[in-house]
Amino acid sequence: MLKQQLQQIRNQDRISSQAVLSYLFTDFIELHGDRVLGDDGTLTGGIAFLEGLPVTVLAVNRRTITLSKEIVNGGMVTVSGYKKAHRLIQAAQRFDRPVISLIDMPGADASVYSEQHGQSQAIADVIADMGELTSPNIAIFLGEGHSGGALAFANSNRILMLEQALFSVASPEAVSAIVTGDDLNQYLPMTASALAEVGLVDDIIKEDQNVLQNIKSALLRQLTPLQKEAGSELIELRQHKFLKVLDLF
Amino acid sequence: MSQQPKKGTWTKCPQCGAHVNQLEWGQYEQCPHCGYYLRLSAVKRIEIVCDANSFEPTVKIPTSKNGLNIPGYSEKLVASQQKSGLNEAILAGQAEINQIPVMIGVMDSHFMMGTLNTIVGKVIREMYLIAARKQLPLVLFIASGGARMQEGIFSLLQMNTVLAAKRKFDQTEQVAISVLTDPTMGGVSASFAFKNDIVVAEKNAQIGFAGQRVIKATSTQPLPKEFQKAEDLLSHGLVDGVLDRQDMKTYLGTILKLHQRSK
Ligand SMILES: [Zn+2]
Repeated sequence: MLKQQLQQIRNQDRISSQAVLSYLFTDFIELHGDRVLGDDGTLTGGIAFLEGLPVTVLAVNRRTITLSKEIVNGGMVTVSGYKKAHRLIQAAQRFDRPVISLIDMPGADASVYSEQHGQSQAIADVIADMGELTSPNIAIFLGEGHSGGALAFANSNRILMLEQALFSVASPEAVSAIVTGDDLNQYLPMTASALAEVGLVDDIIKEDQNVLQNIKSALLRQLTPLQKEAGSELIELRQHKFLKVLDLF
Repeated sequence: MSQQPKKGTWTKCPQCGAHVNQLEWGQYEQCPHCGYYLRLSAVKRIEIVCDANSFEPTVKIPTSKNGLNIPGYSEKLVASQQKSGLNEAILAGQAEINQIPVMIGVMDSHFMMGTLNTIVGKVIREMYLIAARKQLPLVLFIASGGARMQEGIFSLLQMNTVLAAKRKFDQTEQVAISVLTDPTMGGVSASFAFKNDIVVAEKNAQIGFAGQRVIKATSTQPLPKEFQKAEDLLSHGLVDGVLDRQDMKTYLGTILKLHQRSK
């Protein structure tokens, strides 16, 4: 079952971050570069309007319909992508903009380059930035999101997942080293429904022909109540969300 | 406190292959032929960096549960407990280093490779919160292969919840120091390990996010010499310093002294 699901979410025809980005937002201005190493095309970052509200967008690119294979790097955000995110989240903090992240990545980049340029530091910085935001943040899982690389973009007030999306401590292939058998999800909660059950996922988005509209409705439904909260409260609520999940374990 | 090594115990050096007698490894567990450091137990580490008998294990370490009913995990936990003499992959409490009181946590790679699970994460969160309340500096010795997969997403969520607890500590004027020892990888490396005020590494430690096997599999080039070694991180500007094990206590003592506040 999980195998089929993986095939489905890894298929190049699956809904792309770029398609979601153009549907959800208007006046999108891409902001390039991490100011030190370069500009990681795997992570599109920028600012735009969501129904008239200025927001910061972080979108992981995995599909090669509109982008080249070299740019997309299999959806593996490099150290430079995390450094760019770090910069953009800090700007979101300054201008009190909500941060919306679109996640579609097997994990962080496994390369000599990323390691030698401080990938661990860069991911840790983004996790901390997201946790300290005094504006709301919402993560939307479109496909896979695994390991600390995905967690960095998901350390947010709300987590939304498409029905078939996965969020796991490591890729199912890596996890299969400790649990053999077809249905890893039987042991390790990683599907949208299993993660909703433990309180980690706030909204499961139906994947029908109106999927784009469904994403938008879910996003607005989740964001609206958060906008009423004070900044310090948003930090507390975010911490509470995750600690509550851990209490269940 | 220290156990006398048995005279007839020989261990092969993982680096140079020499057969070294237990007595020759010495207090710092260093190969007399090539300088390689064996991975230290948490108890041994505390012995060589803290003032004699100053460590009090004030943070309670509960034993872990097999909450997801992963086949074989319960047995692994018991075996690790027996092998290491610890409840989990960390020891934490209060101690003194050169007479300066500190909150100290030491991860132990002999317990399931020091992997980060719900208990280890909870202990580290408590360390930050207690240190903040008591206005103590904090020293954390890292030795970890990353997040423990047997606890799935709950292990992963330690990465952000520990950093959230650290936020409370950051409101104090106390210093937090990470000492990265062999190995410092994955979800531990990409979380609290690199977020403390001072980040130093022990000589020769392997430090990184992605494992070398994964990187090799996706790369056409052979890995560079010394890749993910403490010295390579130093030359790339990723750590504050690289230390010999013998110099660790003096270094920590000096850093702590430099951050002391007159009350
Ligand atoms: Zn040797």
